[in-house]
Parts: sequence; structure tokens; C-alpha cells
Amino acid sequence: MTRVTLATVLGATLFTLAPAFLEAHHSDVMFEDKKEITVEGVVKEFQFTNPHSWLLVDVTNKDGSVTTWGFEAEGPSTLMRNKIRKSDFPFGTKLTITGRPMKDGRPAAIWRKAVRDDGTEFYPSGRASQTN
Amino acid sequence: MTGIKRLTLLALVAVASATAVAQEQRQSPAEWRRMYEMGLKHRTAWDLYTALKVGAGGGKQSPSFAQLPDWSGLWTAAGGGAFFGPGPGGVSPKLTPAAAAMLKQGAELEAKRIVYDENLSECGPPGFPRWLIIPFLREFIARPEQTWLSSETVNNVRRVYTDGRDHPPVEDRYPLYYGDSIGFWDGQKLVIHTNQLMARSMGRSQPTQSEQMETVEIWNKIDARTIAADAWIYDPTLYVEPWYMNRRYSQVPNADKSIRIGYWNCGENPNNDVFKTPDGGTQYRDFTFTGGDNRAKEQGR
Repeated sequence: MTRVTLATVLGATLFTLAPAFLEAHHSDVMFEDKKEITVEGVVKEFQFTNPHSWLLVDVTNKDGSVTTWGFEAEGPSTLMRNKIRKSDFPFGTKLTITGRPMKDGRPAAIWRKAVRDDGTEFYPSGRASQTN
Repeated sequence: MTGIKRLTLLALVAVASATAVAQEQRQSPAEWRRMYEMGLKHRTAWDLYTALKVGAGGGKQSPSFAQLPDWSGLWTAAGGGAFFGPGPGGVSPKLTPAAAAMLKQGAELEAKRIVYDENLSECGPPGFPRWLIIPFLREFIARPEQTWLSSETVNNVRRVYTDGRDHPPVEDRYPLYYGDSIGFWDGQKLVIHTNQLMARSMGRSQPTQSEQMETVEIWNKIDARTIAADAWIYDPTLYVEPWYMNRRYSQVPNADKSIRIGYWNCGENPNNDVFKTPDGGTQYRDFTFTGGDNRAKEQGR
């Protein structure tokens, strides 16, 4: 199991929200506005569903315990438009993934970027939504 | 002509074409004002619709398939216009005091990050005219007797009857999420009148429209990859004068046909289950992947 190598990056990382999210299924007020986390882990499950998809990632903590993180993105059609297919993240895929975490501390985040261990980058809201 | 010159010329033509398309996709302030003032000349949406019909020589009902435009493919909202923001040139809608108060209250709550979507959060219908601005995929299906304007968001379809029927008689009308829409064809343009709209929020933290709202739209494919919709909104409870906006929908590249519209069901994945908190915000219920977390319960689920 991949170990956690990068915990929370709580810098004041300003970024532009993906416009679609603003009018999507729900508001994003439960997520941090200006903080991101980046973790390393392995894919537990890719829930390719409407109105939102969830990429579940098992992350090994420093004490050896495992936390399953959920990274939320838009539904399948938006992911497909941004070159993300369900088959891109089979069970066991190693990756580094970045998102805006929940304010209440639960292990969930809005998925911003993922890099598989083969170096391939994925941007579920499009690369244009990234500023860093 | 050398190979390099030919390539340079082709590149210049490509750049010029792309620039032309980009310019065409933005409505000029002058054109916006002309359309806006067209709305001001008519007291009601029905008056405007009738004037457009007269201008089109009565319009065409039930045209043959060959006379219809090709609106096939997948489309998505590409911006242009807002219900309460300024148009090109900086002209803002003249709001009633009630609408201005609702807008202010919504903005204050947004600033505090207290937001809940009364419709979409539970996969309820966005309704019309919010339908004009929602994201994700769309399909526009033009047939002689009716046109379907569909959107992936909560699986909705607006039906526009173009077979010559009228709206239901006044005594038989009742509020509908997307209203009742009838229309006619003016060449390749579809002109629509909508009434019977429901009193409901026009969007997240937005004012509430009334059952008095009526609209007129003109749909037109302005280039191979862009469909434009002129929309005039009449609602005396919101707007002192009719408001006008021009929405654009761009064709979604889908050469390998891999992108499809999918059904929305908020109950499909429990991880998408959100609720309204006591203070009016949005929060998730328990996630399936956390083994039961009580924070949602503590926040008043």
C-alpha cells in the first residue's frame, strides 16, 4: 500500500472555480475555498455516476492505518469531455491526487487534479481551471 | 507557391477563420441594445411574439423536415447574458424593489457561504428560464410539429409546439416547471412564446420568479458550432422593464462518439446525498467510504 508522502497543503492557494460547479447539483460551500490537499494512495473504486462521480482512494497514514478519501468530480459526460474514462482508474492504480478538502475534516474533497504513477495527468474540470 | 508559403497562407486563413468565429460568437453592444429595445417596445411577451409573427409573414407551422435546420449533436452552454447582471455595454436590468431586495439577500448569504439549491440539490427540476443557463450537455431535436430542447441536468425536456396549436385557454392553465411553449419557424429561426411558468427560485441565491412571467425566445444556429438564443423575460414582479439576454450554446466535440448524455438520479450514489442545514447551507450526509461519520448528524440533519 502506498504511504502518505504529502499531507495537507494549507497554503493560500488561490484558484478559479470551475464554472460548471457553480450551477451543478449542489453548492460547494462545504468545501474549503482556498485550501488544497494532496495525497498519495491507491484507487479503491471509481464511482462513475451522475450527478457527481467519486474517486475513492486508500491512503496509508503515518501510523500505518488506512483512510479512504473520496474525491468528487462532475458526472461521466463532463469527465469524458475532460479526457477521463472509467478505465483510467482501475482498482489498485497508484496516484497522487489534489483537491479542496471539506471544512468539517471528513476525508473528502473536490477533485482538482490527479497524476497516475505513469505520469499521466488528469483534470476533471479541465486544465484551464487550474492556475498552479 | 513554395511549400512554406502555402503553409503560412493556410495558417493565416486558419487564424482568420478562428478569429471570425470567435468574434461572431460575441454579441456586440450595439446588437444587444437593438434587441433589448425591441423588448421595450412591447408591453407584454405576447405582444412581442405577435409582432415577430407578423414580421415573419405569419411564420411557418409544421414545416417539412427539409426546411428545418440541422441542430444535431451535443451542445453545452457557452455563456452570454445573465438574469440580473449587466448586458454588453453595461446596461443593467431595472429591478422592482422586491427583486432588488431578494438579490441583495442572496448576495449576503453567498458572501457568508450560506447556500443551498432548493431544486437541483435533490435532483428537482431547474425549471425555466433557469434552464437557459444550466451547464452540462444538451440536445436540440427539431421536428415539423414540435421541437424538443433537452438538457442532461435532471433529465429535462422542453417541448415547443409548432403545429399551430395555441396555449391552453386561460381557465385551464396551471403552473408548470418549464411552462407551456408554442412557436413558429421564421426561416431557420425558431420563435417561442412561453407562459404558465411556476413561481420558484431562478437559481441558487437568486430572486423568485412569479407565475406572471412570460418569455419570448428566438433560436438560431449562427455558425456551424454555435446556436444562439435571444430571450426576452417579462415578469412585472421582478423587472420594471422587460429584460433581454443572449445565450450561446456551443457544439461539443465528439468525433469518436464516446460522449453520451446520462440519466440523473440523486439516489444512485449515496455519496451525492446532501441536505439543507438549519442555517440554510449545504452539507453531505454520511459517506459510504468513511464508515459512518456523525458530523452531519451534529449539524442538524
